[in-house]
Amino acid sequence: MPNSFFSWVLFLLDKYGALFLKGAGVTLLIAIVGTVLGFIIGLGVAIVRTLQLPPQANRPRRFFLGVSKWLLSAYIEIFRGTPMIVQAMVVYYGALEYLGLDIPALGAAFLVVSVNTGAYMAEILRGGILSVDKGQKEAATAIGMTHWQMMTLVILPQAVKNTLPSVGNEFVVNIKDSSVLNVISVTELYFMSKSAAGTYWKYFEVFFITSVIYFVLTFTITRLLRLLEKKLSGSDSYTIYGSQSHSKAEIKIQQPH
Amino acid sequence: MENIIQAEGLRKRFGQQEVLRGIDFSVKQGEAVCLIGPSGSGKSTLLRCINLLEQPSQGRILFRGEDVTRIPPARLHAKVGMVFQQFNLFENLSVLKNCTAGQVAVLGRSQKEAEGKAHQLLEKVGMLPYRDARPSQLSGGQKQRVGIARALCMDPDVLLFDEPTSALDPEMVDEVLYVMADLKKAGLTMLIVTHEMAFARDAADRVIFMDEGLIVEDAQPQLIFEQPRHERTAAFLRRSMRGPLGLKQLT
Repeated sequence: MPNSFFSWVLFLLDKYGALFLKGAGVTLLIAIVGTVLGFIIGLGVAIVRTLQLPPQANRPRRFFLGVSKWLLSAYIEIFRGTPMIVQAMVVYYGALEYLGLDIPALGAAFLVVSVNTGAYMAEILRGGILSVDKGQKEAATAIGMTHWQMMTLVILPQAVKNTLPSVGNEFVVNIKDSSVLNVISVTELYFMSKSAAGTYWKYFEVFFITSVIYFVLTFTITRLLRLLEKKLSGSDSYTIYGSQSHSKAEIKIQQPH
Repeated sequence: MENIIQAEGLRKRFGQQEVLRGIDFSVKQGEAVCLIGPSGSGKSTLLRCINLLEQPSQGRILFRGEDVTRIPPARLHAKVGMVFQQFNLFENLSVLKNCTAGQVAVLGRSQKEAEGKAHQLLEKVGMLPYRDARPSQLSGGQKQRVGIARALCMDPDVLLFDEPTSALDPEMVDEVLYVMADLKKAGLTMLIVTHEMAFARDAADRVIFMDEGLIVEDAQPQLIFEQPRHERTAAFLRRSMRGPLGLKQLT
């Protein structure tokens, strides 16, 4: 048997390396699926919640939109107001005991993380949509765009770009918080670590390895997202080369990249 | 000449406050009409009612004899263009795309056709070298010239200007006024809310003076500026033409 901290770490890595890797893979998969689906859910919710009917809209439409908005805000409040670990239990065992549905644990994980993330994303994206100044909406209306054209061509691209830091943050949160899914036996990193630790009763050594893996995952993702943000924000200046002294001089343009 | 725009008994209320209190006027084909008057007199609201950015509370507005509330929004907005005080360019799109997006989405033009039109109009306002720039990379005057090109790309029958130079630094005002004077020469029908009195006097066919939600005077520029019939008009013009007070007068 190994007799020091480092020899234990090496021993455990050698013995359970594949297990750690598989756990990290499942964690990453849940975080990616949950964030992407959550983003789509959140986007849909935010679009409906920021809808405004024209003053001549009829009563059934008004009523329908009112009810939808109420339901969506109930969804957001409930999923932001309860812990994800509890949501996982309720969904997994609720489906099993009351609907007779034995959903695979990984499927339940995707569902819970997506819907949970969707509630946060909805608020993030609603803020993003409202932050685009009213003037641009008026300009879009004034050249005859429909509400849908205005949203897809002008508002949403800006809203999504402005909220990218927060969206990336949700992704990092999901990498870490998917660990609570061990309660429904999803084979993610934390669950795998627990089973590895149990065999030799080496909790500190195993979870030391686990924390390093989590950190590498989140740190890499954070850097990648920052790079993407930088690329999307583009340059602040547009250089045209001309004569300083004679403003009518011919100008040549260098494309910004 | 045919009336492009005509307002009949137009009223607009915001809650308790009545901003427009019965407006009747018309703009004929090829006319450049300037709307002047003190802040809060309802000039901008009047302009915004014409293309339905605000809903009139009472009365009606006709575009070529047709009630604007009955015209399909896409057609009305394409035919009645608008230039904004704050430019309101689409910040996520390049200068060129700002000019083509509406043509493709609203008029159903092909990308190529839209780009041809945009090139031609950006050239006209002197902004073609900046076609790939983003709005955030432009100065105020440049943004406003793009705003004008964007509106012209829709082939409007009339262009509404809502204080197009009020948000500009003084040295950029002229470049925008030049463009507007050019459009006037080309025979475009224009309705312009402005505080540029010299421009109103020299470039307009008609000047309308508004105060407290009513049209006080509607006449040729020489008459308004040289022999105003109402004391309110005269007082407003004295204040506007004098310019800001100097330090001596203030102390």
